[in-house]
Amino acid sequence: MKPSGKFSMLERPKTGDRTDETRPVAFRGAGFAPKAGRYSGWIALVLAIGLWQLAGSAGWVNPLFLPAPSAIAVAIYRLAISGALWQHLSYSIMRIGTGWILGTVAGVIVGFGIGLSSLTRGVGITFISALFPIPKIALLPLLILWLGIGEQPKIATIALGVFFSTAISVYSGVDAVPRNLIRMAQSFNVPFHAIVRRVIWPGALPSILAGFRITASVALLLVVSAEMIGAEYGIGAFVLQAGNLMQTDQLLAGVVILSLFGLAVGRVINWLETRLLHWR
Amino acid sequence: MPRFARLILAALLALAASSTVRADELLKARVGVLRLSSSAPVFIAQDKGYFRAAGLDIELKFFDAAQPIAVATASGDIDFGITAFTAGLYNLAGKGTLKVIGGMSREKAGYPLIGYFASNNAYAAGLRTPKDLAGKRIAVTQVGSSFHYSLGLLADKYGLKLSDMKVLPLQSLSNVAAALKGETVDAALLPASTARKLIDDGGAKLLGWVGDETPWQLGAVFASPKTLTDKPLVTKLLAALARADREYHDVILAAVADGKAPINEVTKPLLEIIAKYTNLPVEQVVGNCAYIDPDGKLDVKNVANQVEWLQEQGFVDKGFTADTIIAGEYVKPD
Repeated sequence: MKPSGKFSMLERPKTGDRTDETRPVAFRGAGFAPKAGRYSGWIALVLAIGLWQLAGSAGWVNPLFLPAPSAIAVAIYRLAISGALWQHLSYSIMRIGTGWILGTVAGVIVGFGIGLSSLTRGVGITFISALFPIPKIALLPLLILWLGIGEQPKIATIALGVFFSTAISVYSGVDAVPRNLIRMAQSFNVPFHAIVRRVIWPGALPSILAGFRITASVALLLVVSAEMIGAEYGIGAFVLQAGNLMQTDQLLAGVVILSLFGLAVGRVINWLETRLLHWR
Repeated sequence: MPRFARLILAALLALAASSTVRADELLKARVGVLRLSSSAPVFIAQDKGYFRAAGLDIELKFFDAAQPIAVATASGDIDFGITAFTAGLYNLAGKGTLKVIGGMSREKAGYPLIGYFASNNAYAAGLRTPKDLAGKRIAVTQVGSSFHYSLGLLADKYGLKLSDMKVLPLQSLSNVAAALKGETVDAALLPASTARKLIDDGGAKLLGWVGDETPWQLGAVFASPKTLTDKPLVTKLLAALARADREYHDVILAAVADGKAPINEVTKPLLEIIAKYTNLPVEQVVGNCAYIDPDGKLDVKNVANQVEWLQEQGFVDKGFTADTIIAGEYVKPD
């Protein structure tokens, strides 16, 4: 059947063919470790803004449809010297901060509950799955009926959005803690609260912090819809008003401020990660 | 059978040929409107073939808010827009991207459109007439909207200060209705169509109608500068609209009594057209008939006042006047 003297792929050569000589092989282990360069991101950003400014100054696009970066800078400057910027920012920071903290505290508690108790898990996951996909904007009229048009519905909108994402990332984090670590702690008769504090909490922390990164952005996204509810001040209210009045330069000025705010929050979370996860 | 097939083919060819000939003769245009009775003449002109008779092939594009119509006109997605004046529209017009070419709906005594409404608690506490709105918390949809301007007019009429009233923009009609029903504001300005359910359920009290207090030019027909260069198109459109304006005025508006049009053999055909395009039952259309000038005239003086007021409030960029946004060669001033 088989041609003699040759071996099929599946068959091991019994003797002979293999030599004990070593053969130099080029190192193949490089790559798959992307590192953000110090400058490449900034250079790309500057180039993109330069091109945008050029398109505006050269008159390739109608300034109404896409205001040039210089027009946006002027709008931000005017906002800053009139003092309105700080008023808008302080209101929004207050709402985002309060809403985020409330949502996060509730989310962490519920997330740990789901991760640690069977009863909470059954009830909690069902409710989260049922309530998470509801668009919060659709509930605005109801929130107004329940909570009025003061600060409560605005904070509640942000807190609700933050709560679900936090709860999900916390219980996934708890689930992902290696069971053998927990079993080992149990075999040393470590009490329950100490296992939670010393094993589960640090083990779940990376995914909790990754969740914070998402919820911080969610809070920024939601501040615009939250400030739909009768807000006089706030970056979201400012963006909405500029949109209503078709003042596109001011609209984009508000958007730029929101994204700068997002960058700042990202930095804070980076710092938290290096502080809290130094053991990694 | 083959003969039958040939017949059908011949008929189809003939139909295709005739329709291409007709489409060549007709001037094509896209008109953006809201599904509201304030655009009634547009629906009448389309349904009764007045556009076609004037040599136009009009495609109606329906929008759900006034602002997108203005934006779509400026960007060239539609050729004509018919909707209410807003601060956003004036900001677009001030940059030269659209011009007003004719009048449409108006706030006028006896024709309820926008009303002042009080929450039950505020009503019980003595808020009974529009004049009492001074110092109250009043919900509107957006800053610089028709509702906000109506409130400004009211303040001017009674010498109240707008700065004394706390104007709360809640972004949508449903949010405003919810705030009024939930007693979180003292009063609100709402269109009759939204307020009807609230009043019927006892969720709010009517204080009066804007048309009775401060008549003004609510809506208009406008076009982009590019469309305006096509003089035959604009002239034909305005003529067809004027024909429908006249019919709507003489048949329906002239019969309105106590803010309601009667349903009889004369008014019914037109009311049914409006009902068809606004997706409302005829019984609801009759109580919500916007006044429209029979000749399609525009209250130019009021438009100038709107621009000045909005500029004063800082909602519209300064540096242009009403004259520059009105296409004088087409507009029939009032």
